[in-house]
Amino acid sequence: MALSKERFQAFADVVGEENICDDPTMMAAYFRTDFAAVIMPKDPSEVQAVVRLCNKFQLKFRPICTGWTGTFQPGSILLDLRRMNQIIEINEKNMYAVVEPYVTSAQLQAELFKRGLNTNMKGAGAQCSAMLRGHGHLDQSCGADDRNHLAVEWVTPTGELVKMGSWGAVGEWFCGDGPGPSLRSLVSSVVPPSTTPGVFTKVAMKLYHWPGPDKYALEGHSPRYTLREFPSNMMARYYSFPTLEKMWQAEIAIGEAEIALELMGFNAAMVAANITTCNEEEMAMFERLSKEVQGPGFFVIIAGDSPEDFAYKKKVLETIIAENDGQSLKTVEDPELEGILLTQCTRISASVRETFRPGGCFKSIPIMGQRDLTIRWAIGAGQAKLPLIEKGLIADDGGGFFGWGVEHGHLGKTEIFCKFSALNPVAWEEVTKWHREQSQRALEEKYFALTMAPEEEIETKIGPALSNYHVWWNKVLEALDPNGVVPDKGMSWLL
Amino acid sequence: MALEDYAGDMNMCCRCSACKFIPLQMVKGFKHANVCPSISRYNFHFFSAGGRLNLGVAGLEKGFNYTPWYLSSLYNCQQCGACDVSCKYGMDMEVLLPIQELRIKAVEDGHAHPALAKVVERMAKTGSMVPMEGAGRGDWAQGLGLKDANQEKVEVLYHVGCLTSFDEGFRQLAQATAQILTAAGVDFGILGQAETCCGGRAYEMGHKQDFLTQAQKSLEQIKATGAKTLVTSCAECYQAYKVLYDRFGLRDDHELKVLHITELMADLLSQGKLQPKKTLDLCVTYHDPCHLGRLGEPWIHWQGKKVPGDRFIFDPPKPYRRGGGGVYEPPRQVLHSLPGVVLTEMDRIKEYAWCAGSCGGVIDSNPEFAQWTAEQRLEEAKCTGADAIVSASPWAEKLLKTAAGNGQCHLGIYDVVELVAQAI
Repeated sequence: MALSKERFQAFADVVGEENICDDPTMMAAYFRTDFAAVIMPKDPSEVQAVVRLCNKFQLKFRPICTGWTGTFQPGSILLDLRRMNQIIEINEKNMYAVVEPYVTSAQLQAELFKRGLNTNMKGAGAQCSAMLRGHGHLDQSCGADDRNHLAVEWVTPTGELVKMGSWGAVGEWFCGDGPGPSLRSLVSSVVPPSTTPGVFTKVAMKLYHWPGPDKYALEGHSPRYTLREFPSNMMARYYSFPTLEKMWQAEIAIGEAEIALELMGFNAAMVAANITTCNEEEMAMFERLSKEVQGPGFFVIIAGDSPEDFAYKKKVLETIIAENDGQSLKTVEDPELEGILLTQCTRISASVRETFRPGGCFKSIPIMGQRDLTIRWAIGAGQAKLPLIEKGLIADDGGGFFGWGVEHGHLGKTEIFCKFSALNPVAWEEVTKWHREQSQRALEEKYFALTMAPEEEIETKIGPALSNYHVWWNKVLEALDPNGVVPDKGMSWLL
Repeated sequence: MALEDYAGDMNMCCRCSACKFIPLQMVKGFKHANVCPSISRYNFHFFSAGGRLNLGVAGLEKGFNYTPWYLSSLYNCQQCGACDVSCKYGMDMEVLLPIQELRIKAVEDGHAHPALAKVVERMAKTGSMVPMEGAGRGDWAQGLGLKDANQEKVEVLYHVGCLTSFDEGFRQLAQATAQILTAAGVDFGILGQAETCCGGRAYEMGHKQDFLTQAQKSLEQIKATGAKTLVTSCAECYQAYKVLYDRFGLRDDHELKVLHITELMADLLSQGKLQPKKTLDLCVTYHDPCHLGRLGEPWIHWQGKKVPGDRFIFDPPKPYRRGGGGVYEPPRQVLHSLPGVVLTEMDRIKEYAWCAGSCGGVIDSNPEFAQWTAEQRLEEAKCTGADAIVSASPWAEKLLKTAAGNGQCHLGIYDVVELVAQAI
């Protein structure tokens, strides 16, 4: 499916021959998809030129940043944004950082720590793009999702360069909405198509205060780095509760008290995954933790700006936990394991060990919504996993799910995984069935409408459940993309 | 194990890109976050471990197609193992081993890199990885009165290595090593003219059978000396004797103990047999050679079967080599023991050190890329404010010196051995 000579040359004239590859053999390296070509532009003007050529040749295109995942159409052009990898600005006073697509969260955060600032580390992991829109361990104190996007520079599907918000109006990045064009609704969708057609070339990310050290003092070797000294103004604990209701009440109270740097509603399996270095160790740890917990729970990190602030937060936390009959997990109180969880969760955001290590594959249902409602749905989705666990088709996590409040609020993220072997077609089939059934249940029982769905379900189920938003979206897309170069009605990923 | 045996590992790749960066907790800033020279230089995903594993999966499913891009991806890789370490922070799967098998398969399928094939041919013919340029292997030892291990029984055999023996710039390294061993009273000898290449670099070049043939030759000579310990100042030779020979069942520790000179020097220093006296007044940074560090981690013999079910686990459990077992502290202990030497660390060290560029035959197949890789390391070394970069591998030192020569670099470039010889 290589390009014609004429088309190849047109693209090569823009990016240089060393930055385009249309060798069909090599396309397997990228998502095992038969792309027409992979092209690596180096700046917004090259992105614009490539996009215009895609329009001229009527070739669909999709951009990637670090390129963790996504859905791709055979025969399309893949824009690999790897060469756009600079931090443009860290504005300490106005607390934002402007990044290009291939700056990783790990890089940006390391620079921010030196300045007493932080960015939300998305659940996809610190190796993913810092401009990724998403959720993570630090949602409690570092916002989430599109709320962290300030001004954005965007190449539309026709190749126009749009400077959104204050970037368009006054050449500053501090605001995503007016006085320049406010197109937040186009870049912030949390229902399918989820993200924006076209290419983000620069994004200003909102920053937050970081009370921790300018860098963690780590020692040891991979895969077990430990803290030489635990920061005196920080504490990490896992609390379990006798009932889900008590856990939820404690979660609300901690949010309302605004004391947590992080509150992550991990299940015991996820704690086990993060503090261990291999599958066997993880399974043994899960068994141990399952006996230690009294019920559902969450992981909390508190950090003080002064000894007094730390003492206050600790006292409030302990009071809330006691009022809700919570118990601290002794295993996590071990300073070494406490340190591993602290650094793992704040720096890496913990994705690979808890998702891919078991079998190389996972399917997830992530949902943003009112936590008590989504928790109720997740209990059922977790119970529906148990037969798959019994059959040995998915990794045993006790039917667990997880979630957390965002910005100290009642609104939050709830998510549930099935982890399985990439090589087991039966597992794939059964997990897909589980995914569909639980998504359907969410819609039918009025918990929420799924945020990821096949195209046909957007038209027939999700759209109608959400004020027929898809009709509006299709019209917008028609205007943005007159030549049909956006694949899958605009569903594009920023990972 | 052949490529097919790693199909399960290759299928485990979730394309997370962790293989491109140092373990994420160790990222200290915007700079020096990358760990793979190949993807850092060439950018396309198929120059990363994840991309190569995906190509391996596709090749096993549909057949291998040796296009120019494919061969470029295959040979523009130092096989330094950094990707392996970073991936295994989170995952249980082999990364470097299947990548090496991809290259071995290419050679077996008749797609050896021409420059590397020449090097291997020279090794088979002359027993040297580098041009001999009319010199003899033991010429560096003339007049030193060292024991000839072919004739006399010795406790320790000093294996010099091809580059150190034949490259004029490195003969002083051999002489300094001999000076240190003599000063410490070690009963050692050399093979001189009879020494032959360890063959390790041939394995990395994809010429597995040539490696095995050469290894047999080398081992026969070593065994004939009766020495119980082999010490070498070459990190590449160390890794070959220590790891590869063990992996392929050619050697075990009871029969022949293998030490790098930094390990022996650290031991001699702790016993007081080596006593550095002269003050050097030097702020240095240390470059961990890949072959002494992560690739030097001892081989773990294991055989098992995948346990059916949801997880990629085995019976008996598979113990993975994750890079932490390399030789990291001995060279640092040696440097700390030298009066006036202050060690300051670079951002990328130990198991996640940036490669100096010469590994995997890249110094022969793509010298420009090898040098670019070394230039990145020099830039990182400069950021520490050190006066000098010190290593423990003549191959790394050679490339760093070449790179420094082209870039007006003010840094001194030394081997640990040279500094110790100056100090005693």
